[in-house]
Amino acid sequence: MIEQQYNDDKLHYAFYSGCCFQGTDARFFDILQQVFDKVDVELHLIPDAVCCGAGVIEERSELTSLSINARNMASAEKMGLPFYTPCSTCFNVISNVQKRLGEEAKLFDQVNEILAEDGIEYKGDCKLTHTLWMLAQDVGLEKLKERITNPLNGIRVASYYGCHTRNPADIQKYESSQNPTSLEDILKVLGVEIVDYETRDDCCGYHLTWPNNQLSQKMTSSVLQGAHKQNVDLMVTSCPLCFKNLDGVQPKALAAAGQDFELPVLFLPELVGLACGMSSSDMKLDFHNVPVNVRL
Amino acid sequence: MLTYDVLIVGSGGAGLYAALKSRMEEDLQVAVLTKVYPTRSHTGAAQGGVNAALANKDATDTWQDHWFDTVKGSDYLADQDAAELMCREAPEVIREMEHWGCPFDRTEEGKIAQRPFGGASKIRACYAADKIGHVMLHTLYEQGIRRGVNYFNEWMTLSLLHDGQRCLGVNALDIRSGKLQTIQAKAVILATGGYGRVYWNRTSNAYGNTGDGVALAYRAGLPLKDIEFVQFHPTGLRRTGILMSEGARGEGGYLLNALGERFMSRYAPEKMELGPRDMVSRAIETEVREGRGGPDGEVFLDLVHLGKERILERLPQIRELCCGFEGVDPLEEPIPIKPTAHYSMGGISTDINGLTPIEGVYAAGESGCVSVHGANRLGGNSLLDILVFGRRAGNHATEYARQTDIQPMLQNPLAPAETCIKALMDGESSETIADIRRDLGNLMAKKAGIYRNAADLTEGQAGLAELKARYKRLKIKDKSQAFNTELTTALELGNLLDLAEIVVEGALVRQESRGSHYREDFPQRNDKDWLVHTVATRGRDERPVLHFEPVKITQFQPEARTY
Amino acid sequence: MTEKITPKREKLLANLRVQRYTPGKDRAPYFDNFKVEVETGMTVLEALRYIKDTQDGSLTFRAFCRSAICGSCTVVVNGNPVLACSTQLMPILKDFGKASVTITPLQRLPILRDLVVDIDPVIEKLAKMHPYLMENRDRIPETLEQESLMSQKELSEFNYITDCILCSACFSACSTVKVDDNYAGPLTIAKAYRYSVDARDSFRGMRIQAAMDQGLWSCVQCRKCINVCPKDTRPADSIRHMRRIAIDDGIHDTPGSRRAKAYTDDVEKIGQVNKPMLPVIVHGTKGWAAIEAAEAALAKHGLEPTRQVCTLPGQEGAAKIYAKVREIEKKEKA
Repeated sequence: MIEQQYNDDKLHYAFYSGCCFQGTDARFFDILQQVFDKVDVELHLIPDAVCCGAGVIEERSELTSLSINARNMASAEKMGLPFYTPCSTCFNVISNVQKRLGEEAKLFDQVNEILAEDGIEYKGDCKLTHTLWMLAQDVGLEKLKERITNPLNGIRVASYYGCHTRNPADIQKYESSQNPTSLEDILKVLGVEIVDYETRDDCCGYHLTWPNNQLSQKMTSSVLQGAHKQNVDLMVTSCPLCFKNLDGVQPKALAAAGQDFELPVLFLPELVGLACGMSSSDMKLDFHNVPVNVRL
Repeated sequence: MLTYDVLIVGSGGAGLYAALKSRMEEDLQVAVLTKVYPTRSHTGAAQGGVNAALANKDATDTWQDHWFDTVKGSDYLADQDAAELMCREAPEVIREMEHWGCPFDRTEEGKIAQRPFGGASKIRACYAADKIGHVMLHTLYEQGIRRGVNYFNEWMTLSLLHDGQRCLGVNALDIRSGKLQTIQAKAVILATGGYGRVYWNRTSNAYGNTGDGVALAYRAGLPLKDIEFVQFHPTGLRRTGILMSEGARGEGGYLLNALGERFMSRYAPEKMELGPRDMVSRAIETEVREGRGGPDGEVFLDLVHLGKERILERLPQIRELCCGFEGVDPLEEPIPIKPTAHYSMGGISTDINGLTPIEGVYAAGESGCVSVHGANRLGGNSLLDILVFGRRAGNHATEYARQTDIQPMLQNPLAPAETCIKALMDGESSETIADIRRDLGNLMAKKAGIYRNAADLTEGQAGLAELKARYKRLKIKDKSQAFNTELTTALELGNLLDLAEIVVEGALVRQESRGSHYREDFPQRNDKDWLVHTVATRGRDERPVLHFEPVKITQFQPEARTY
Repeated sequence: MTEKITPKREKLLANLRVQRYTPGKDRAPYFDNFKVEVETGMTVLEALRYIKDTQDGSLTFRAFCRSAICGSCTVVVNGNPVLACSTQLMPILKDFGKASVTITPLQRLPILRDLVVDIDPVIEKLAKMHPYLMENRDRIPETLEQESLMSQKELSEFNYITDCILCSACFSACSTVKVDDNYAGPLTIAKAYRYSVDARDSFRGMRIQAAMDQGLWSCVQCRKCINVCPKDTRPADSIRHMRRIAIDDGIHDTPGSRRAKAYTDDVEKIGQVNKPMLPVIVHGTKGWAAIEAAEAALAKHGLEPTRQVCTLPGQEGAAKIYAKVREIEKKEKA
């Protein structure tokens, strides 16, 4: 790995954005950069990345999925920086690729042969991380605490990981898959009150949006109903796809389930930004589908 | 009344193969009664391989070589016509399994791969990684789904019904509902596995290997054969008795006593840890007896010196077993082990077609005794036994069922089963299943285990009589009907007590050492007086009556058994 | 030089909270608490057996081989489906930091008694998948004189799936089983795949149809099944493989297949998925309403509606990979 020298006290990452930061979600791009600036993290966009395929490309060709993601990682390796993505599914797919290529020498060689045609070498040694562990471990809870200027005390929050940073257990070594704590650790530092609820470990259904929309909405409404039962003020998720579902599809999903309530949902970096003194309009909270009627 | 042409009791390899053979004749009604679900059967635990002289790895191998190895391995107690038949039919049954989709490992040429195994003069154990029993069992079950075999899952068979001459059917308990039923059948095949659980806490067997079919047959008046021969495997995990494959010693593991000594230097100074199974088991017993065992009467299998790389590459499953079942990591500590009762050579006495003296009643697999394994079974021959004799019994039972009509059922056939259950359910008692069972296990391990002698065995007889009396007083506390596992385990315990009695009886009478049966007071093999099968039938006083039948010698004259 | 061996064995008094229920007798499931002295090496199953033997003989659960090969003893421990026989108690007690564990039966299946559930629904779904070899007479000889020939490589296409012990932990954990009774469940689709790619088989088309009838594209890929499988068979992977062979065999007309095709082709052409157009690609003309609604939402926030997304700079590199992979896959098929 080529060591890039940055003569500052910041943490630098090769930034893999994932594809959901477009259209109405394009704002997350800016928000992420501003929020991470608050905690001395600098993101360097991987210039020639392509979509990870979300595992769906494997339904046509496994080798293609392995190769394009090896290429994505090779870019970060060339930049000499750890690979950070805010998207849980991208993290899951790419970690799985790194793991597989690390375990199967023949596959590793075959992929490198394919990449060699374009002069690319995949080494398989870049560190892969996600917002959860970048904040909780790399930046550290102490530093995060220092940057809080607007502690969000008194707000009852349902914390939601989603599935793809947890399953399967072998895609990351940062924490237990069955008993993760990084999200709650971060939220505690932000000052909120964490409320347990029965659907915390359930899937939001995002990846069934296209193949089976009805089941997808069932899953979404189930997660929301579980949190709502505990009278929380809002739900926070560390996954942007879960966010799109739980916020974007909420009205439809709840209506289909015969439910009549609204539960504001935030994407973790939004809450971090607010706690660090950014305003609701900085966070563009009015872009949310479900109004965020909470004093933050 | 439920009626079937062929009713199979037991859903391991033998039972499922028999069911397939019968069901292929689509005009017959075939059902399998099992007290579990078929893929739970203990066949699935077999790991190493299944023998057949395919000559895929060693082109010089023949079924005759296999035959000799089997007879010699049996310490010459096997009936040589039966062993011949098994070895001769082996290639065909293996190929049939393969045609049915069994995922054998392959040679370079794409044929079924084979590997060496204990006691085999040529390389002939066909394998599928280390899970041959598991894949065979699932293949047979899946083909059964294809052919429409009726599976009665979680039905425990309580009595075998016959009129002294011909098969009538069975009584069975539907565990789910708790209801008893009589099922009529022209032919019944008993294939319920072994009885290693008489050594309750020192066996590799599943909890349910309680010899139900063998005990049923015995109580119905059928003869049992060679029950005293139970094979002990030297290295079972301390807590559970789960098997630690011989491969660990093959890779260079040491056997240590609690003082840290490689004690095999006292017993087999040349072969050390790789001496024959019965010898190593006896060595371990001696060390423990003489006070050099660990706090739980165990010795230790030490792999630490092999190093991390070697263990992770060659013995990953062993490591998983130790970590998962003993809480010990062999990379860091020696593994606590004890010899474990592994295989029941004895069983229901049958001819080479699995037929018992009652027309229409058959037995196959570990619960049968033809005998092909004699006094000691070769590794890889058990899976073969169940295929060959499961098939034969299935074929023969099918033919018989074709040519027979349903016989009139006995009057009030359910009565004995109802009485038995009522006796266990009505009333209270201070006796518990766990106490009697634990005492049974301890008694058998101490008095009729790896080392046997007249004094111990006589005490064993007395001990068993007392246990049987305690069992008669036993009342179960769970009075519910639905899914009453206290009832089923009590019934299983009754079976174990009957069979344990016969083990002790046979061991006491047989004044010689042969194969897995070792008498300290008669340490030599005695062909002159004891080249016979021990046959046990139930006497009027409910105690076993023994007589003896000659062993069929057709080809190989008994020789000294050295390796 | 020998050293005395003193094995390290710890003890801890723990509380086992176990769900009880006898249908017909109890109105609803309830919990009993049992105190057990747990020691190093003790498994959940050993603890259950200890309770049954010495404290409450009516405690009901399944167990057989106790060596993680028969699949009988699956239960849920602290919310996680596991094999009771191979799950050590001491690490769980330490990990959760409380001297208490909760044991409940498998989920989504009717309770027969206490920790015993009815697995017949799983078996019925499995049976519908034709989980058995149907001989391909081009590979399997008519007589038993020879085995069929097969390479170790062909075996490795599906061999890991044969490790499945039908324990149903995946079924219990499955997100889609939770919301859809008709869904086949992970292990059944994995079995369908196992036989469909067995070179000796001839029934692939029927199994693809059977899988589709039971929800091949209803799996949400949450990967919980991979987490809980005690045999590391990775059912979610098999489901993606089954989808792949379905599409290869010509199943192009389902929303799931169209999604797969769209994602794959888009990344080749523009380096990312054209999400705005997906509703129409996947659902046909019905999708226009969704596109229009999305564009209205954009307009509300003063953003330009778009039916295109930009081509990423990495697209060229990706396209080269696609071409090369196509070459390789063509060669492998030949």
